[in-house]
Amino acid sequence: MTAPFLVARNIAKRFGALTALADVDLEIRPGEVLALLGDNGAGKSTFIKVLAGAHPPSDGELLIEGKAVAFASPKDAAASGIATIFQELALSENLSIAENVFLGRELKRSIFGIPFLKRAEMRQRVDSLLQELDAHISDPEAPVGSLSGGQRQAVAICRALNLNARLVIMDEPTAALAVAETRKVLALTRRLAGRGCAVVLISHNISEVFEVADRIVVFRRGRKVAERLAAETNHEEVVSLITGAHPDVRALEKTN
Amino acid sequence: MSAVRQSGTGVFSMNGREWSLLVACLLAVVIFSVASPHYANPGNAVTVLRNSVELLLIGLGMTLLLAMGGIDVSIGIVMGLAAIAIGRILGADGSPFVALVAGPLVGALLGCVTAAVVVLGRVPAIVGTLGLLGVYRTAVFALLGGQWLSGLPSSLTDLLATTVLGIPVPALVIALAYLIVWLALRRTPYGLHLLAIGNSEEKARLSGIPLIKVRFMTFVISGVLTGIAATFYVATYRNVEMSIGSTSALDAIAAVILGGTSILGGRCSLLGTVLGVLLLRILQNGLLLIGVPSLWQPVVTGVLIIGVLGFEAASNRLPLTRFQRARA
Repeated sequence: MTAPFLVARNIAKRFGALTALADVDLEIRPGEVLALLGDNGAGKSTFIKVLAGAHPPSDGELLIEGKAVAFASPKDAAASGIATIFQELALSENLSIAENVFLGRELKRSIFGIPFLKRAEMRQRVDSLLQELDAHISDPEAPVGSLSGGQRQAVAICRALNLNARLVIMDEPTAALAVAETRKVLALTRRLAGRGCAVVLISHNISEVFEVADRIVVFRRGRKVAERLAAETNHEEVVSLITGAHPDVRALEKTN
Repeated sequence: MSAVRQSGTGVFSMNGREWSLLVACLLAVVIFSVASPHYANPGNAVTVLRNSVELLLIGLGMTLLLAMGGIDVSIGIVMGLAAIAIGRILGADGSPFVALVAGPLVGALLGCVTAAVVVLGRVPAIVGTLGLLGVYRTAVFALLGGQWLSGLPSSLTDLLATTVLGIPVPALVIALAYLIVWLALRRTPYGLHLLAIGNSEEKARLSGIPLIKVRFMTFVISGVLTGIAATFYVATYRNVEMSIGSTSALDAIAAVILGGTSILGGRCSLLGTVLGVLLLRILQNGLLLIGVPSLWQPVVTGVLIIGVLGFEAASNRLPLTRFQRARA
């Protein structure tokens, strides 16, 4: 088994008197799609915000490749190779695909001290990324506003890859997509892992999770209540874990 | 290639809006030529172009501001303050070269003040610049002490009313300013960042764009362009009157919106702004020549703004996606 890219130890997050997250231990490995499941308010979003550097944890520690890290901002997390693709994609609809992929990290050459964009190079790089992902987007110059929801997800993934992300966190990437589009995004997710990326996927759709995930982690009331290999569990068990009907979860909740 | 190409891939590539503005300009010229015997002569054409110089420069800056989702309603009075500085230098028989530097310098300083209020102070641009408009207007009155600066020496005029290789200096300066602003907008990271901010500040922030730097810079650029406009103003009229620049902001915003720049930000056309300025000046000049009092000029400008935005709002209800239309 490969060494984990990221290890979370005893992560807790409190907002005043409210405990949103308690005692979460988790390992995230390269080349693996890890699905986070749980009801609304189970702590999934809080946990990925901790990973993404948006919330500092109240307790516990994060290790990246064995070294402890502390993120003060999403920028720090990005510098450590963690890219988050939020539900409301942070893409600029009025700019082209290539421009979006490079936005904030443009390739440029200096002429008389003025930075000019290396447009051809950026276009080529995006072209090859799109082909590698088999994203079915022919023209990297098209404005993102003209793309479908699935294509926009592909652009967001390209952007993450272009930032040399080692861990890509996807927050309900298929929530607003039609069936065919969902298929494509799930395929993209698999290819991302195939490239050696660690992927954390949040989803409400359990059959979708079984299609794409290697491991499944279930959150309930701010705690991690179960971790299963997708191959060793089934739909019913996962549902009972989420709802708390599973004997393991009952036992756990009794002791707490 | 898809039908929804990004507009403005080349310096002179034109979209539908820009073509229709060009046609509108030509149409207006034809109509006024028929309506007034004084209209169609070379002297009048020069007058229209001459009257467009300041507005073209201010309009380029306003295009950047609107594209960024900003605005500056105090820009006319900024030109007034810069003109007063230039006038004072000339009035004291100062060097015309010092006067040449004074305009852009005062413009840049006032741009910094505006940016400090709007960008650092986080006051919404429309309100912040409206507040500054009140302050600056009183400053103009106080500085002029109720009297025009008039009969200024011709040293600056002699410098700028010349030609280089047969091209008038104002035309050269405008062409250069256009080229620089176009390059900044379409060929540098700054331009991308500006358009991203105009589209959504929050998304731009999430993309790691240096928001404050880009917004600050844009107000300063607009100030510098306005300062250059003030230089041409003083060189041409050799006086500074109390009401200087009182319609410039309205005219500039009207021209920029006519040109196809979105009032909501994220989309802009520099060529559209140039054509918008020309159309505005052609209309104002033509109406004057067919006997409409100049008092009516702001009415025409105001109606044009309302008309264009009303038309855009109405066509937004058509079953096309926003971006198909924006790029058409």
